[in-house]
Amino acid sequence: MYLTRRSRWFGLLFLLPFLICFVLFWLLPLVYGIWMSLHDFRLSFGENGFVGLSNYRDLLFNETVHQRLFLATLTNTLWFMLYSVPLLVICSLLLALLIRHLPRRFKTFFRTIFFMSYSISVTAVSAIYLWLFATNGGFINRLLLDLHFINSPVNWTSDQPFAWVVIVIATVWWTVGFNMLLFLNALEEVDNTLYEAASLDGASPWQQFLRITLPTIRPITFFVLITTLIASFNLYGQTLLITRGGPEQSTTSLIMGINTTVFGQNQLGMGAAMALLMGFIMMIITGMQFFVSYMATKKEPVLAKSVTQKKTTSSATDITLKSDAEKERKIT
Amino acid sequence: MRHKKTTTILLLIVASLLSIIFLLPLVWMILTSFKTLSDSLESASLLPKSWTLENYRLILNASSESPLIRWLLNTTIVTVLGTLLVLFVDVLAAYALARLQIPGRKIILAIVVIALTIPGIVTLFPAFYLFREAELLDSYVPLIVPYAAGTLGVFLIYNFLRTFPKDLEEAAYLDGANQWQVLTKVILPTLRPIITTLGIVTFLAIYNDFLWPSLVTNEAEMKTMTLGIATLVQGSNFVNPAAMMASTVIATLPALLLFIWANRYFVKGITHSGLK
Repeated sequence: MYLTRRSRWFGLLFLLPFLICFVLFWLLPLVYGIWMSLHDFRLSFGENGFVGLSNYRDLLFNETVHQRLFLATLTNTLWFMLYSVPLLVICSLLLALLIRHLPRRFKTFFRTIFFMSYSISVTAVSAIYLWLFATNGGFINRLLLDLHFINSPVNWTSDQPFAWVVIVIATVWWTVGFNMLLFLNALEEVDNTLYEAASLDGASPWQQFLRITLPTIRPITFFVLITTLIASFNLYGQTLLITRGGPEQSTTSLIMGINTTVFGQNQLGMGAAMALLMGFIMMIITGMQFFVSYMATKKEPVLAKSVTQKKTTSSATDITLKSDAEKERKIT
Repeated sequence: MRHKKTTTILLLIVASLLSIIFLLPLVWMILTSFKTLSDSLESASLLPKSWTLENYRLILNASSESPLIRWLLNTTIVTVLGTLLVLFVDVLAAYALARLQIPGRKIILAIVVIALTIPGIVTLFPAFYLFREAELLDSYVPLIVPYAAGTLGVFLIYNFLRTFPKDLEEAAYLDGANQWQVLTKVILPTLRPIITTLGIVTFLAIYNDFLWPSLVTNEAEMKTMTLGIATLVQGSNFVNPAAMMASTVIATLPALLLFIWANRYFVKGITHSGLK
């Protein structure tokens, strides 16, 4: 109608700024990175001959220094995910549940406090935790010594398992508020009448949590789980600054490993291959999200039916309306 | 009813105790920045024995090594311009894709979605190398422009626009408006919520980014605050917690205040980003 042929081409002008940025800073680096990974590519003097898939072979199948570094740092990162992800998901859910059950006028206050640390950059978080847990002159050690909980300073940042403890505490403190917000939003959307009906039917709080809360927040829980897995997989700043990858490289993360390969060993081609493998693993994790949410939408009609059947028996809804009216009366 | 009241009080006590634990690192940071060096190393008390501004003087005077004010300025420039650029580029692109029936629309949309699933780490090192070859390291260009290559914003706004009825726009066209006028007068006002969301998410991403700026900047003068603090942690301030905390106070306080002030928008921005 109003879109003539000329104006369709004119519309491309609107797309142009994005297209230029996208091609220059995303597509070109992506293709160049794949090309690099197939070459002996040095940071200092560039391309040094085509090597095919040998970088990948060296990383995955051959016993080389690169493989050792790749597997060691990958394993370290996976350990960190194992320690941090359950805590980040469970603690954020607990915080969200806590806030949900607070009186309305306190909600914003506590939500802001638990979420506040998210506004601090990873480097400042590291600076704070590095000095809180410093061996000599660190506040935590001083406090524990003065209270006679310990006799000599603990090497928080340079002995295991303390190093992971500090990294995990710092990470939880830093990011738990973000997940909490996502949970809180989902919790507030649960229909209140469901809880009231259930409690009138004699369901305990625990039963209500299992039967009402958990099923309704399942999609967001999965989203939080996947995004937290990805974020933890990207571990870099905390271990670089707090533990410096130690003790004995046990907290050297995968990104730190790639950095060492590129800048320490001058192997940009090998580093590009490592980054592509890392990206591939992350795509598998996010692929899981697409797969599961796809399966969920296929199953949804059945699930939804069983949920409504369980919770909205006719008598319960009637009583719910009444109890709502009662509540309003009390307020006025 | 009494049972419910005790539960509420109990929950409030738990929340308050947790708040103290959450606030402790920040309180410690602020109070330590006012301690003398020996006090900060030896005392197990939160409060300084005697309050001093010496750490701030020390930090702000050492401006060749740690130009904190310059870093703050850089961070402001990079996050504000970066966020505006992303919003500008993405709104235009999403508008073209959703409304202007441009040639090759389907292919571009497919690429946008595919790009969304590919993690940033795979483009980081080659992009750094390209910027080095172009001799653009230690400039604002790599610190700002590459963020506009992200496809999340295009995707979010496109989805938002798709579900939005076209009646108003068609009326505007009949009144003789052109595409640009329709975009600025009709579309933009309806995009407010999604632009807020995208703006907040982008702002936080750029502000927090550490790895990318650390690749493309070496000079102290060009560092962002996030990067500068890392330099201090790894550098000479390592032996002086009081001075270190004075720097982190300067680094975190502006963002913290902005965060508390615009808390509502941050919350909205983040919760919406999770559901789309």
